Amino acid sequence: MKGRTLLVVSIIFGVALVCGYLVAANVNLLPEVASTRGELMQRLFNSLLGAATVVFVLVEGLLVYSVIRFRRRAGDGGEGVAVHGNTALEVFWTAIPALLVVVIAVYSFRVLSASEAETEKPMVVEVIGRQFSWEFRYPEQGLTSSDLHLPVSEPVRFEITSEDVIHSFWVPNFLAKRDATPGQVSEFAVTPSEIGVFPVRCAELCGPGHAAMVSQVIVETPEEFDAWVERMASLPGNSTEAGRLLFGRYGCTGCHVLADAGANGLIGPSLEGIGTRAGETVAGLDADAYLRQSILEPNVHLVPTYLEKIMPADFATRIPPQELDLLVTYLAGR
Amino acid sequence: MTATPLETHSTPSIRRYFGWSTDHKVIGIQYLVTTFAFFLLGGAMAILVRTELFAPGADLVNGTEYNRLMTNHGSVMLFLWIIPVLAGLGNYLVPLMIGARDMAFPRMNALSYWLLFVAGIVMIASFFVGAAESGWTAYVPLSVEAPSGQTLWAISVILLGTSSMLGAINFLTTITTMRAEGMTFMRLPLFVWSMIATSLLALLATPVLTVGLVLIALDRVVGTVFFTVAQGGDPILWQNLFWFYSHPAVYIMVLPAMGIVSEVLPVFSRKPIFGYAMIAFSSIAISLLGITVWAHHMFTSGMDPRLRVPFMISSMIIAVPTGVKIFSWLATVWEGKLRFNTPMLFALGFISMFLIGGITGIFLASIPVDLHVHDSYFTVAHLHFVLFGGSVFAVYAGLYYWYPKITGRMYDERLGKSHFWLNFAGTNLTYLPMFVAGLLGMPRRVADYAPEFTLVNQLATVGSLLLAVSTLPFLYNVVVSWVTGPKAGDNPWGAKTLEWQTSSPPPEHNFLELPVVTGMPYDFGEPRRTPAASPAGAAD
Repeated sequence: MKGRTLLVVSIIFGVALVCGYLVAANVNLLPEVASTRGELMQRLFNSLLGAATVVFVLVEGLLVYSVIRFRRRAGDGGEGVAVHGNTALEVFWTAIPALLVVVIAVYSFRVLSASEAETEKPMVVEVIGRQFSWEFRYPEQGLTSSDLHLPVSEPVRFEITSEDVIHSFWVPNFLAKRDATPGQVSEFAVTPSEIGVFPVRCAELCGPGHAAMVSQVIVETPEEFDAWVERMASLPGNSTEAGRLLFGRYGCTGCHVLADAGANGLIGPSLEGIGTRAGETVAGLDADAYLRQSILEPNVHLVPTYLEKIMPADFATRIPPQELDLLVTYLAGR
Repeated sequence: MTATPLETHSTPSIRRYFGWSTDHKVIGIQYLVTTFAFFLLGGAMAILVRTELFAPGADLVNGTEYNRLMTNHGSVMLFLWIIPVLAGLGNYLVPLMIGARDMAFPRMNALSYWLLFVAGIVMIASFFVGAAESGWTAYVPLSVEAPSGQTLWAISVILLGTSSMLGAINFLTTITTMRAEGMTFMRLPLFVWSMIATSLLALLATPVLTVGLVLIALDRVVGTVFFTVAQGGDPILWQNLFWFYSHPAVYIMVLPAMGIVSEVLPVFSRKPIFGYAMIAFSSIAISLLGITVWAHHMFTSGMDPRLRVPFMISSMIIAVPTGVKIFSWLATVWEGKLRFNTPMLFALGFISMFLIGGITGIFLASIPVDLHVHDSYFTVAHLHFVLFGGSVFAVYAGLYYWYPKITGRMYDERLGKSHFWLNFAGTNLTYLPMFVAGLLGMPRRVADYAPEFTLVNQLATVGSLLLAVSTLPFLYNVVVSWVTGPKAGDNPWGAKTLEWQTSSPPPEHNFLELPVVTGMPYDFGEPRRTPAASPAGAAD
């Protein structure tokens, strides 16, 4: 019986190895990888997936084999074999997983060190989380945006913090995240490796609007990035164009619907036709005053069925007066 | 002493289950019934959550309502179902298994149950004042700013922690001082070993959570600033206090489940457990290692980056004693004569599902992988394979296995098996797609998601409905069989542990005469090594 056991276990183990190899080489469960650290992590992940498949197929294989082979036959009221243990075997299956775990830990550590190695003079982007939007500040370029623009192949260091509760800055395509914790700055560095538009999501529960706390990363060529920086530095002369731009820059597009600005957010009320009804919504407030107060003090006049404290209430400290004027004028004309 | 216990045994009044009792068996059943009611409540919340997530957009509930459902689903399932249902099984079984007449402190035992009862009421009451909405992890400062229900939530969890600590003291004292003659530590059933390991953990870790909860309650009610950043408070402090308890809590929820599996497998394989000592010691090893791993939940937080590596290593090492158990179980069924009664199906189901939870735990422990999958649906899938595919499967295995002991009647095997297969299919359909969703970038705890995640969410929702339906044959079986099931006899499974050597249900003080133990609890199999040795615990 012993020889047979060895044979069966060897066959199942062999099948498990083949499955592990095939899975590691062919199965991809990760999104399109758009950063160099993501490429390292992808290799680690696929190796882990292969090893996991070997263990999974081995254990499930032995289990299924046992269920079929060792089921009680009809009429057999007998007992199994009185084996209480086998010291050599028990030492073996303690040592092998221990060894496997050491290999995985060492490999993980090497990937971690490589992906967090210091790079020369990375561009710094300050990431600020607040309920329920992201803000990206570029101290070197002197600008602020609600979208994250990054030049491809250039290292960037994020300095991440929060102005209220804990958020987590996650770019799934970079295969990395870091918490935005109030009162402290966390850092992590990436080098974007693919041009494209990728989502930014909040991964730490931060309140009722958590799911809507999204933005996007636009990875572009250095020339496109420079052109964007230039565009951001000044506002267009046409006031409608300027208002539309500000509507996007301050993150309004994330939560509201407004076709003119390409906004289709689901969290806040629709602003379609807001100009025609703004003057009649609250008695005693004309359109200009109502729009102004709704931006600066969003919790005073809530649109029915919408929740309190969802919209950021700190625009008074963030929007310069002339930009607020442009935004109000723009909305009054919708 | 001769007539009374028999009489009590033959005329059990159902009324004693509705009031103060110090009989560990009554308390055990009170635990089981109460916690199962909370399981159904937590399940109903899960169904609402899954229904909301069937399609993108806010369909059923808004963000606040979603967060309340999700938070209380987690809190009820962990604190009011898995942890106390295992304590309930322990309550019923430990004195019987070690040959004792009751727990060491019967009145404290009753207090443990009634604390749980009150805590459950408090948690339900929180829904009337704006329930907790900060996740079961209650991260500050979000939880400090939440509505009043969060304070009730904290009080409820403090009460549950106290109940759990009192229970742990009771189990440890009972097991060390009240074993029957001949019941040495190395003859203890493995479920009892797992209760030792669990109680040690509960005793070491729970006070730390309690301290954290008191700080949150003070911040909320009295206006202290332990977690207020602007005044020097530290949000990371809460994460340390919370996870110092809450990661070990996973082992509190899994170790007794492993103990149940170790009881069921040998009986239905008609073989001794393979590697008794290694299984027993691996429980202790898991509980000791378990208190050194908590910060793996904080790899993405602002903790000192250098501290991450030791926590990665300690977390991965847990795989070693866990692997020992799995291989020992495989060797136990190997060359057995397997009988596929419902408890056996659930025990085998436990191994195959828990395996997935265990393996994916290695992914989460690996720092670079964790930086991607942390707080994603990958984590949700992982924890449900551990706690649902693992703990809940084992609880079902235990409930079916000891049902004839507790009620004196046999459940319906066909209903039991259909319950198992619905559960097995539902578990995989619900939780496997969540791995994919998380890897592709879906965060956890979201009321809405990007359209690309629609298919995986629809599969998960269909699976969750299957799980809800699977509960029906179980409930019907348990209730109807208790009244009309055939008499089971004292030892229908031919098991060798002491609880099967007394009548079903056991008399008031468990044994008419205390047993004397002369052998191991799993002396199955042929040929016998020493034909003269009598089975464990047979009272002469």
